[in-house]
Amino acid sequence: MIISAYTIYLALFLYFIVGSIIARQARNRLGSGVNDFFLAGRSLGGIVAALTYSATTYSAFMLVGLAGFTYIGGVGALGFELIYLSGLILVAFFGPRFWLVGNRYNYLTPTEMLGDRYASKAVAVVSAVAAVIFLIPYSAVQLIGIGALLEGISGGAIPYLVGVLIASFVAVYWTWTGGLKAVAWTDSLQALVMLTVASLSVVFIAYRGFGGFGGLFTQLEAQYPAWLTVPGPGFFNINAFVGLTLPWFFFSLSNPQVSQRLFMPRSLGQMRVMVMGFLVFGFIYTLVSIMWGFSARLLLPDLPAADSATPVLLSLDIVPSAVALLVMLGISAAAVSTVNSIILSLSSMVCRDVFKNVKPDTDENKELLIGKIFVPLFTLFIMAFATLRLDLIAALSVASSAGLLVMVPALFGAFFWKRGTAAGVLSSVIAGGLVATILQYGGWQPLGLWPGVWSGTVAVTLFIVVSLLTRAPDEKAEEFIGFLQSELSGRKVI
Amino acid sequence: MSLERQRIFWAVLFIIMILAAFIFPFIPPLSNLTKIYGAFLFWNAFALVVIVCLGIITARWRDDH
Repeated sequence: MIISAYTIYLALFLYFIVGSIIARQARNRLGSGVNDFFLAGRSLGGIVAALTYSATTYSAFMLVGLAGFTYIGGVGALGFELIYLSGLILVAFFGPRFWLVGNRYNYLTPTEMLGDRYASKAVAVVSAVAAVIFLIPYSAVQLIGIGALLEGISGGAIPYLVGVLIASFVAVYWTWTGGLKAVAWTDSLQALVMLTVASLSVVFIAYRGFGGFGGLFTQLEAQYPAWLTVPGPGFFNINAFVGLTLPWFFFSLSNPQVSQRLFMPRSLGQMRVMVMGFLVFGFIYTLVSIMWGFSARLLLPDLPAADSATPVLLSLDIVPSAVALLVMLGISAAAVSTVNSIILSLSSMVCRDVFKNVKPDTDENKELLIGKIFVPLFTLFIMAFATLRLDLIAALSVASSAGLLVMVPALFGAFFWKRGTAAGVLSSVIAGGLVATILQYGGWQPLGLWPGVWSGTVAVTLFIVVSLLTRAPDEKAEEFIGFLQSELSGRKVI
Repeated sequence: MSLERQRIFWAVLFIIMILAAFIFPFIPPLSNLTKIYGAFLFWNAFALVVIVCLGIITARWRDDH
């Protein structure tokens, strides 16, 4: 069933108005400094922090890509996504450390932290540039997703470019209006929309399509038993599973738009609410997306492309158009909430890690102005990428998790290895990033191993070997790690 | 248990759990069990155990500053 363009425009307009009211409320409570604009003044409460963390982490990939993985690969998609969720184990160790040094040294970005810890401006600049290279195509794919979704659900009445334009405008307007506080508050609304709509619709589909979840599982066991095992139908062979899952396990550290959120809660107690809230959100949202994919498998056995499972499922008669419309909003919300957080995070890195390192005497007002200017600039850039629909964008987007993985050795070293050096970081980030891009773009898998496995291996090896061959910033390492040891002991935090 | 020993305990426990989540579903009996109580249940149980462990660890994160 096709939904009229008028109805879709009206729904999107209402969604934009509600979000804009929230964004303006956030602006009224916004301070005037760089920390206020990009970190909400390090004062986020736990529940808002949990919701913005969830909305930023979970993009349109869940109900489209993950459901598609389930459609073609079966239960392996669940393993992939839940191992990724378990990556929050890393936050158990890194979360309090990020938060403590963020407060102590007034870090704005994770890349600034790396630059300071390794006593090297080049580390901050190169890490920030690497983040831009890998996150822009990833954001463009979110816009491409919205453009394609609106085009599909309206039967072509809403042109692809109009969808891209609407999503970009919404993202940039809310971000520009009130910085991180507006992003966090609108993210909270969007997270609730995403979870509620997706959960209700999957319950709806399960009952209308199969008489309940029991019926869904019984039919699955009878008709597609291989889909309940790995490698099962073959998509999730062990190499593919490791290649996909390994880089994503480190997502909470490797992606700056997420790790930057470890600076934002107003206390460790609120960070706890953030982490536990996200885990509960993520667990439910994952199960919903997997059920969505299994439902599509049973109801639509002959789809030509797995990514079309969700749009086609929404067009079935068992799904009323009101539900389809809400799911469309939920997916758009998931994409917008990811894109605006990335735009804000990249803008903060440009003003702090690139501009301020080049011109150290820049005052805070000018720094903030530069950061704010980059909000629309990055949006335009991402939009331009989305309109091109180049093969390279898709390759870089897929490579983003493998590419950003190369930041992880530097982060481990920052907190746990005094011997780590700037040369080690630079070589691991540059060489690892190149390996990820080249392998992804060329479609190569040496020894059957995926790009993320290679980029991770290259980054770890180079970081250790080059660090051992070069001189560590001993004084800074002692001071940084010594401060953490003393604080963590005092708080009895592991 | 000292803080350092606790760190090692949790790190080792998590490494074992993660390895199990990668390996067990790919080997018998789970790789042959075409039922909802096979790999599906295993990975769900794994995630829930991780969530409980993180609940225990983060219980010491307080609002005192």
